Amino acid sequence: MPRPAITFEERRWDVAMKALIKQNKLLAPVVKHDFQDYEIIGEHNLHQIIYNHPKPTTPLKTFFLPIKQNVTIPLQEERVIIMGVPACDLQALGILDEMYLDPDYPDLYYASRRRTTLLIGTDCHQILPHCHCVSYGLKPYPQLHHDILLTRLNSKVILEAASKAGEAFLQEIGQWAEGYEIVESDQEKIREIRADIEQRLAVLHADLPGYKMSGDLIEDAAEEVWQEHAFTCVSCGACATICPTCTCFLLIDRPDFEKIRQMDACQYPGFTRVAGGEDHLINLAERFKHRYMCKYVWKPKKFHSPACTGCGRCIEACIGKINKNEILTSLASVTTL
Amino acid sequence: MSEKNIYQPMRAKLVEVIEESPTIKSFVLIPETDFSFETGQFIELTMDGIGEAPFTPSSSPLVRDRFELTIMKAGYVTERIHQLQVGEIMGIRGPYGRGYPLEVFYNKEVLVLGGGCGFAPLRSLLYNLEAIRDKLKRVVFCYGAKNPKECIYQPYVDRLRTLEKFEVHRTVDVADEGWAEEVGVATVLLDKVDVPIQDTVSVVCGPPIMMKYGVLKLIEMGFRDEQIYLSMEKNMSCGLGKCGHCMMGEYFVCKDGPVFRYDEIKDLPDIWK
Repeated sequence: MPRPAITFEERRWDVAMKALIKQNKLLAPVVKHDFQDYEIIGEHNLHQIIYNHPKPTTPLKTFFLPIKQNVTIPLQEERVIIMGVPACDLQALGILDEMYLDPDYPDLYYASRRRTTLLIGTDCHQILPHCHCVSYGLKPYPQLHHDILLTRLNSKVILEAASKAGEAFLQEIGQWAEGYEIVESDQEKIREIRADIEQRLAVLHADLPGYKMSGDLIEDAAEEVWQEHAFTCVSCGACATICPTCTCFLLIDRPDFEKIRQMDACQYPGFTRVAGGEDHLINLAERFKHRYMCKYVWKPKKFHSPACTGCGRCIEACIGKINKNEILTSLASVTTL
Repeated sequence: MSEKNIYQPMRAKLVEVIEESPTIKSFVLIPETDFSFETGQFIELTMDGIGEAPFTPSSSPLVRDRFELTIMKAGYVTERIHQLQVGEIMGIRGPYGRGYPLEVFYNKEVLVLGGGCGFAPLRSLLYNLEAIRDKLKRVVFCYGAKNPKECIYQPYVDRLRTLEKFEVHRTVDVADEGWAEEVGVATVLLDKVDVPIQDTVSVVCGPPIMMKYGVLKLIEMGFRDEQIYLSMEKNMSCGLGKCGHCMMGEYFVCKDGPVFRYDEIKDLPDIWK
């Protein structure tokens, strides 16, 4: 049975959005010059929202695990709507949920934000440099973790519910809708775009090994490989900070037994140091390798969801110009020769 | 908040400080709320506003109203802990992780090899083994320290030596005039013990270098990998299997360990570092 859906023409969508932002905190990607990232939407930037665009600069994880959060003060719940989330970031919530909603030790602060955030996912109608979800068996359109699927086709906006919360949301803004189903011609168009993007991504990264094969290559790679590729790494941790699945953190103590959960990165020196000074990742090349092993070898053994969703942000963020995909492609080419 | 906040420490009052060696002290704590642990599990101890560090209780898990931590002065947090006075309030989270699988030891001999401050978690284990000694064949405890002054828990060792089914061997790297036991690294003691290897499990806890050579020696003696249990030390920061600092291969040492059977971890890189 098809999920409930509603459609808007541009003017009515505008009216619905204005009503929505009056009563809700709504974030969406806006574009300014060459830069696109989530902003809180008000009337001043409503028309800068960019639709069906891949990869906002900030990974989705940051809304659920902020850079710094006091995790010992009472929860303050607030409904937040995040619009325009690409599939790679939604997919990344899988491993975050496995870790932070772990029934043994659920993180109440993460759980609260997951509960109170409505996620409006969106198909990617473009490909940005380094996008490679398809290489890891993922799709450039939302499949998991979204409440609503939003598609903009020319001047039409189509919303399709993907969860109970999404259905309730459609009812909420249904009063401004003009259509109550996705017409076949629009469905056909959506399918066409999806197939086109998928096919183009596959061609672009034809030489890039898949997720599982990447793990095998990484596990077998000689130590010299890591020394060579870590040569320009400055341990800045940008790769982990920008990664939608990296969530390592520090607990920082404050008086009165308060604790701050602050995002950390395994690329920082001292990440694994124990009392007395022992540190098995003191060597830069070993730290560098650790991150690859974590993402492609160890986490896949432990969790069901992927620890890399192919967004490619780590490549863009690296000031040492280290390209993860080039490393993996070169490992694959050496092996097959 | 109705559900338990995993980050919130519970309060515990320091009621006694025992000087064990020039660098090691034991701290007796009474938690303000119900607290119990299984031997080999660890807790996160918070110095209010200063920092938090993981420690495995050194007291018997069967004593429920209080517990003891034996702490070597080794870093920023432990240095501050050593300055604590009786009456101060600490924070504790836990217990965390997987402790020693005592039921596996039933009807067997248990060879326990410890070094330095590794005696702390092992004392908790020995207390527990003492309580279940009807179910065990024998317990052989081998312990090594740098010098006689660093040989902690002397009264406990004296008592252990009087217990039926218990055998204690000790060594120091550098002896003094009063030392009448063995001299040499901890593994030399393994040459002194006579255990039926097929019918024995071994437990090793101590500095990484001691654990490494201890395990190699046990294997040389004929122990199989799955007969050896290790208590691993990594940077267990959150204790919850989340923060990533203690990752050792696919394991979070804090949640999947800290006690591992050697065959579970032997092929992972850097386990001895």
